[in-house]
Amino acid sequence: MLMLKIPAQATMERETEVTFGLAPKTLLGEPVPEMSWQMRGDEFLLRGEGHHYFHYRRGHGITVERGPDADASEESLWLNGSVYAAIASINGLLPIHASAVAHEDQVFAFTGPAEAGKSTLVAALADYGLAMFCDDTLVLDLSDPKRIICLPGHKRLKLRADALALTSAIAEEQVSATVGKFYALPAAGEVNLPLPIAELIFLELGPEPSILPIAGGERLVRLQDDHYTANFFASARRFDHLDQFTHLVRLARQIPMARFRRPLDPSCFNEGVALAAQYVITGGQR
Amino acid sequence: MNAIVKRSDRFTEADIDSEIVIMRLDSGEFFSLSGTGAEIWRLIDGTRDRAALRLALSDQFLGDESAIPADIEEFLSHLKEMGLLAD
Repeated sequence: MLMLKIPAQATMERETEVTFGLAPKTLLGEPVPEMSWQMRGDEFLLRGEGHHYFHYRRGHGITVERGPDADASEESLWLNGSVYAAIASINGLLPIHASAVAHEDQVFAFTGPAEAGKSTLVAALADYGLAMFCDDTLVLDLSDPKRIICLPGHKRLKLRADALALTSAIAEEQVSATVGKFYALPAAGEVNLPLPIAELIFLELGPEPSILPIAGGERLVRLQDDHYTANFFASARRFDHLDQFTHLVRLARQIPMARFRRPLDPSCFNEGVALAAQYVITGGQR
Repeated sequence: MNAIVKRSDRFTEADIDSEIVIMRLDSGEFFSLSGTGAEIWRLIDGTRDRAALRLALSDQFLGDESAIPADIEEFLSHLKEMGLLAD
């Protein structure tokens, strides 16, 4: 079947093409330290461990310089993580720290800090027929002022061994020698079409599984994510306070939000997943 | 009559659901107003003084009407401390 791409997808495909060669060592005058990044205008420079550099310039794609002490097994993680999020941001797309499923041509995204259980929940929702939309990073296209469109995920699902045991996801190879996670195939497959966002659901701890809407100004507060993806977008857009407020107000008005509280106790896991599945399948707050 | 006037050069605001979110332009700090606080904020239009505020609010206030003056004073002094009202 022929599927038409929206411009944002075509942009990301074009802009994330990788070539190998020499990369600059700084964008700001001072050499970029290991495990750090710099952004200037439409350029982004990231340095991994040792002499492992990733340079992006709008219209020129990514140049990777892999020095003799670079860990090549980490390269795809850098490219799909920080580098991808920075390129999205420079091109006006908003990356948020979330994993998501699709239902009836809409996206239900689950967000929370690292280890909040985003990937595990999305993998487990496959048991209810809910296909994965993305893992870990959800990229939003804000170009249409009337609605927010999600780009399909570019990352493979990654799960720890204990999360694999809780879900029906099919384990594949270990992510890398230093990352204790495994790539996995979600049991209900993946959706590869751009779709509008239905809801953003914050994962929290609580004694009993419950899902409740988040209203009013709290939605703005919740959007002040301190994850690196948010920093990329703010840096790339060169927001002042007013710009940032206008941006957050738009998101708060256009994205329904909820909090999903549940205990992290594995014995309660299925109960929480069942509640989340019912919530999504019945359309959330719609 | 001393009309109460907002320092609109110091903040921006937006309605989200039934709340009003206000951001200070200098610090980027923001906070939200709901219920009576939001109603008082809406009624501060640069023409009303305290008596007019009380009158307008008493038409809508469902609680103890005798508490209105104290509520307004406390709220206005809070807004003034935050630099959102003119002297």
